[in-house]
Formats: sequence, structure tokens, C-alpha cells
Amino acid sequence: METPVDTSQIVKFAKLDELLALSRANSLWPLTFGLACCAIEMMAAGGPRFDISRFGAEVFRPSPRQADVMIVAGTINRKMAMAVKTLYDQMLEPKWVIAMGNCAISGGPFVFPGQYAVIEGVDKLFPVDIFIPGCPPRPEALIEGILKLEEKLTGKRRWPVVKPE
Amino acid sequence: MPATLEQIREHFSGMDGAVTTPADHAAKGYDLDVALAAGGVVAAAEYLGGIGFSLDTMTGVDWIAQNEMEVVYDYFHPASPLRIVVRTRVPRDNPEVPTVSGVFPGANWHERETHDFFGIRFAGHPNLTPLLLPEDADYHPLRKDFVA
Amino acid sequence: MSASFDIGAPSKSGETFVLNLGPQHPAAHGVLRVKMTMDGEYVMRSEPVIGYIHRMHEKMGENRPLAQFLPNTGRIDYLSALHYNHAFVGAVERAARIEVPPRAEFIRVITSELNRISSHLVWWGAFLLDLGGFTPLLYAFDDREKILDLLEGVTGSRLTYCYFRFGGVRDDLDEGFAGRTRAFIAQMRPRLKMYRQLVTDNVILRKRLEDIGPISPELCRKYGATGPVIRGSGVPYDVRKVEPYSVYSQLDFDVPVYPEGDCMGRYRVRMDEIAQSLRIIEQALDKLPDGPTLGKVPRVLKLPVGDVCYAVEAARGRLMVRIVSDGKEAAYRLKLRTPSFSNMSLFEEASRGMMLADALALMGSLDLVIPDIDR
Repeated sequence: METPVDTSQIVKFAKLDELLALSRANSLWPLTFGLACCAIEMMAAGGPRFDISRFGAEVFRPSPRQADVMIVAGTINRKMAMAVKTLYDQMLEPKWVIAMGNCAISGGPFVFPGQYAVIEGVDKLFPVDIFIPGCPPRPEALIEGILKLEEKLTGKRRWPVVKPE
Repeated sequence: MPATLEQIREHFSGMDGAVTTPADHAAKGYDLDVALAAGGVVAAAEYLGGIGFSLDTMTGVDWIAQNEMEVVYDYFHPASPLRIVVRTRVPRDNPEVPTVSGVFPGANWHERETHDFFGIRFAGHPNLTPLLLPEDADYHPLRKDFVA
Repeated sequence: MSASFDIGAPSKSGETFVLNLGPQHPAAHGVLRVKMTMDGEYVMRSEPVIGYIHRMHEKMGENRPLAQFLPNTGRIDYLSALHYNHAFVGAVERAARIEVPPRAEFIRVITSELNRISSHLVWWGAFLLDLGGFTPLLYAFDDREKILDLLEGVTGSRLTYCYFRFGGVRDDLDEGFAGRTRAFIAQMRPRLKMYRQLVTDNVILRKRLEDIGPISPELCRKYGATGPVIRGSGVPYDVRKVEPYSVYSQLDFDVPVYPEGDCMGRYRVRMDEIAQSLRIIEQALDKLPDGPTLGKVPRVLKLPVGDVCYAVEAARGRLMVRIVSDGKEAAYRLKLRTPSFSNMSLFEEASRGMMLADALALMGSLDLVIPDIDR
């Protein structure tokens, strides 16, 4: 897979770039890629209490061709790794990856000496933009991860960070 | 109505080489333990299937210190609290047990899994390919001498 | 290519193609792959391929001391994690002859039944999503959040609980728990009535599910299928009644059984089970005794040599844990008999000749959680 050419050095569109980044950030369409327990928290984040529809991200697309962001929620297996990589390759640019949960970050609780089946982290397969720790992370953590991704895209954070008292 | 525990025990005691041991359900979780040679597992399955039992699961155990592998069949009945356990041991370097998937089609998957984990061959199985491991796996991870 | 368009008839040419369902597909069950040989719209043969979320639970059971395996139990079937906690601690308590105080037993029953309701609600929402109805999922998740609030106050986690300990439970209930739970039950019953009026009695759902996917009791017995699958086929098999454990024998509840054996029967069994679980929780709250919540456990826990098994009725069916011990701190062999494994194994035989949409309705009615199959 060849690396995409970075046109930002050659051509700068200024306001159009900002507009594009804002529209991409506000309508991130995730790929339905729930593998295991974290998938349920992802579904709960799409549910009525936590509601990621507020951020434009509730349209889960089953097809990688129609998705912007792949939220890897769950453990990646050696048997599954090929399928995950294929899905990532099938997604169109620009695309982002959120590694949700400890398993996607580093293999999670399933890493032990002598383990034979788990890939220790999805960043061993392809680059990841946001890591959300937790086992499983709360839906609020997933929302925070989406807000951080928006910040990565636009440079501005939608809501101020909540300061613990 | 299924047979009573005494009738089941009597039937198994009549089988060649079978050793029956009653067990306390509250202490062990099963009522009767039957140890027999590998050749008898199909007849045991046919008998228990005939009186209404269902195959709960099959467990493989690697007794590396004794150079043997064990296959444990758990049976449960939908209408009675009786639980029967049938176990058999085979030599570790050439573990082979006849398949019971002709009697219980559910054993098809259990035997594939036991083969995946231990390498025990089930003679007569229609499709002994990896179930849980990748299709090209040639390792048996639950063996005690397995190195990743 | 056949030019026949008779509705209900397989193609006259008999040409087949292989349709690969999964391992990533929107029917939100997880990573399951089914290779379907199709003749037009009809499934001639389906071959499930599993193992895409195999996470080595049984190997981990051999590698770590017994107490360190407790977090694993919550991850095998994350929707009804407390039942899996229960089976594992039950097996260890049975082998080591650890006494569980009665208050802890009742707390276990209350939390397990709340977990059963939340698991059935997720099944209900996801099943209707498979059939094409998007809205019930949102209602189900709304109700489920209330249960999760209750359980989070007690256990500390929302999903993958690790609350049971050898000899009891980790923490006692707080004073407000009984009041909050009763308030939840009071508002859940009218919701169930609304679901029945809007969804269960809905003519579209009836047409989608009635007479679809017949599973006979004999098929269940041959594959070892249990839970709502066997109860939806007319066999009243429930581990809580046939092999009673914990304090279920002291509680009065019915086991819903429907004789039809089709998807609608299994659907109705689960909806009735939610109502029965509410009954169990009310009775258990009434009968909750005072006392300690953790029994005496030796500091270093080693099981006697030999094997032991313990079975519970998980949300999906019969769950049995078999521990073979050689006297050391870790189990020599830990076997998990999970309900979805046996329930899924009959899919191949049951789905022959069905139309694709009906085969998916059948798969949804089996209520599968794929990590439960793969462990």
C-alpha cells in the first residue's frame, strides 16, 4: 500500500481546509466493528443515554467503503487479523482508527507468557490515532475519544475538558 | 422417564473393562463415574442416548506425567438431575478415540475442539479440521509441553 | 441462470454459489463467519466458522491461581457475566467445601437475575435490529441503563462484572439498593406491557417469526442445546429447577415453556423470563437475611486432587464449569461448557432449505454471544 501524498506542503486551501476538517470531524461515520465486550459499550454509547448522535457519529456503517473511522472495540485474534487488515485497507482516505479498550491497545488481559492467539494491540497491524483505555471503557470515555479525534482533525476542542473537583 | 442410577450402573458394570464409581452430586457435581477403554465410548453413548441423555461436553486432559491423555464425556438429562461421566484414557504418543458424532451430532464440534487443543484423533470423524484455531494451525496449545 | 420466479421455489437450474456471512457483519452478534451455499435465496448448506475471538480462557485457567481467573469469567459472556462468576466460584466452593452465608446467596440471586434481565434486553434489541426494527434497541438500552446503574452501585462495573468471590460476594448491598430495585421493578412491568403491545403482538413480527426455524426437542437433545432454545421447543429444562443450586429452591417462580419450537416460541420464552426474573428479585429482596457476605476461605486456596463440576442456568442456557485439580494453586485443567457453543452447533442442520432472511432470524433467536462460543 503506497503512502498517500501529503498535499498540504504543496497546496494550502486555508478556509476550505478548515471547513473540510470541521465537516469531517462533525460527521465521523464509524465502521461497525465490535468484536467483543467493548462492542456493547460502543452500542451503549449509541444508545439514548450517552448518544453519540450529538456528535454526528451515530451512523454506524457496515461497509468499510462508507465509513470514516474504524473503532476497534475488542480483542484482535491471529485468525481475525487478516480480516481486520483487509477492512482497514478497504476504507477510503481520509480514515482514522480508534483503538477502544485494553485489548485493542495492547492485548488487554489476555496477554500471558505462552499465549498463542492474541495480537498484542491493533497498532501492530496499522496506525492508530486515538487510544481509549479501559476494560471496557465507559461510553463517556468513548465520547471523550471521539472529541479528541475531532480535536486532532480541527485543532479545536468542541467542549472544554471537565475538571475533576 | 430415564432409567434409575442403579439401572445405569448395572448396565455399565456389565460392560467389558468398565469401572463404575458412584459420586456424591453435592460434592462432585455428578452422580456416576464410568471409566472404560476407548473402544467402549460409542456403546456408552448409544446406551445413554437411548435413555434420553444429552451430551453436555467433552473435555480433554493431558496427563503428561503418566504419558496418557484422557477424554471425559459429560452427560446430562433434560428431565432428571442425574449426571453421568464417562472417561477413557489413551496413550499420549498415539491418542486415538472412536468418534461419537454418529450418536450425538453435537459431538462433531466438541471433538474438533479437543483435537485442536490436544491432538487427539477421533477415528471416523467426518471433518477433523481446526475449529477454534486458524485453519493452518499445526500446534496443540493445551498440551502441557506446548511452547508458544 | 434460471428464469423461474415462482415465489417459494428453489431455482430450477440448481446452480449454487457460496455467500460468506461475516466475520464482520451488521447483525450485531460478534465475529461469526458462516459460509452459506445458496441456491438463489435458499440456504442449501451453512458451515459456521468460529475461532475469530478465541481468547484462550481455558489455557489461562491453567496458568494462573484460581482467584486470578475470576476476571476472565466476566469476559467469556460479557452480557451475563455474573452467571459465569457464579459457575466458577460454585465449582471451587464445591471442591474446597467452602460455606457461603445465606445473605451472600440471596445477593448472588438478586444480582444474577438483574443480569439475566439486562442480557435478555440486549438480545431483544439486537434481534429486532436484525429483523429490521431499529427503535426497540433504543428502548432496550434505556431500560438496561437503569439496571446497570443498580449493578454499578453494587459491583463497581457496568458490564464485565467480577463481583462474586469464593465464599460469597465482595461487598454488601447499600441501604438504598432495595428501594431503588423495587422502584425499577415497578417501572419495568408497564414497559414489558408496552413491549408486548407494540412488538410481540405486532403482525409484522408474527409473520417474520411464526413457523420459522423449527427446532424439535430431539434436535436439541442430539446437539446438547439448552436454555430458551430447548424451552422454546416444549422441554421444561432449566438448571435452576432440575439441578437446583444456590437458593433457587426457596424461591417460587415458573419456567416459561412454549411447545411450538419456532422462533416465536423462543422469543416468547425470553420475554416471559424477564417477567419471571422480576418476580424472583422481589421475593429474594423480601427474604434477604442479615449476616455476613463472605464465608471463611483459606489464605492459600488449593483444591483437593480430582475433578468437580458445577452447572448454572446462564442467560443463554446451561453453563457448566469442570475443574480438574492436582492439588496446586492453579487448576490442572479448566473446562468451560458454554451454552452458545452447543446452541450454535445445531444451526447447520436447522437452517437447511431456509431462506436467507429466515436463517438470520433463526440465528438471532438462538441468542449467540460469540466469545461464549470461542472462549
